[in-house]
Amino acid sequence: MNATDNTNAKSYVLVQIGDRRFAMSAATVSELAPPVRLHHFPQSSPLVAGVIVRRGRIVPVYDVSRILAGKNSPAHRFYLVAARDFGSVSEPGAIPVDGECELVTAPTQNPDPASPKYISGTLTIGEENIQVLDLNALISSANTGSANAGSATAKPNGIESGETRA
Amino acid sequence: MKIAAQEPTKSRRIRRTEAVILFTVANQLFAIAADSVQEIRSTDSLGAALEIEQQEIPKVRHTVERNHRTYFVVNACVHFGLRVVRPTLVLILRQVRVAVLVDKIERMTEVSAIHALPRAFIGVECRWYRGLAYFEDQVIPVINPLGFLTANEFQRLDGSLAEAASQRTLEGAVQV
Repeated sequence: MNATDNTNAKSYVLVQIGDRRFAMSAATVSELAPPVRLHHFPQSSPLVAGVIVRRGRIVPVYDVSRILAGKNSPAHRFYLVAARDFGSVSEPGAIPVDGECELVTAPTQNPDPASPKYISGTLTIGEENIQVLDLNALISSANTGSANAGSATAKPNGIESGETRA
Repeated sequence: MKIAAQEPTKSRRIRRTEAVILFTVANQLFAIAADSVQEIRSTDSLGAALEIEQQEIPKVRHTVERNHRTYFVVNACVHFGLRVVRPTLVLILRQVRVAVLVDKIERMTEVSAIHALPRAFIGVECRWYRGLAYFEDQVIPVINPLGFLTANEFQRLDGSLAEAASQRTLEGAVQV
């Protein structure tokens, strides 16, 4: 890394989702929560798997692993809580992650032009190229896709999902 | 790891104690404000329920008459997309002409706060629920009594009732 790279360096949290690692801007991340209970109730919002309770707040959980890793999250998982923007208002949202997270500071490169819009850049950590996730864009893309597909069927109580208690 | 900025000072939690009835539908727990329920009856005691002839709104198959008003009986399993089980109770609501078929009343209790539904929720649940209550380590959706049937659905059901009534009148006239 040279001096020019350092000026572009920002802090990222590296998370494991399925078999892959992704980076999220550390500025948006508030905490890594233990595998607390995931509460389900009937609802039809795309990607929303349920809610968890953190520090007295009810936090929606977005199961992004189906998009990013092509499979459902395993039962025992941590939750990375990050801010999601709704216009001028920000609200915490959680994504299930596997294993431990790592904080790194690294310069960002532009994403591959063929990458989905929710990839905002790439980091090079050692030999590994890690894609930087834009959580807002990721969830928005899922919502748009669902709206286009006309999906409005309510998801019942998620008996099939891995419900865990801390 | 940097801690995210503090939340906006305006809390989305509605702070008041509220009496609610906790009930289950297909093992899913729900809460409804006690003052929005006029009456709770066993389905066995609803012998006078009339079948309504319409296919458009599958969650409504019957009507009941209470105090000279016709209530549309909504099957909560179908409404919420849950596994259909045989209901044992019916909640007759106060503000709307809706009676709801449910499995079991758990109890009546008070909740100290009803949290607004997070903005992540954008589907039909925004109409179904007033918010969420966190009570005894459970997050329980708090029912919006006005969310069982839309104005359009009421209109269509009223239309079906009117059509059935005129059909009966016609049949009566023919018999005479």
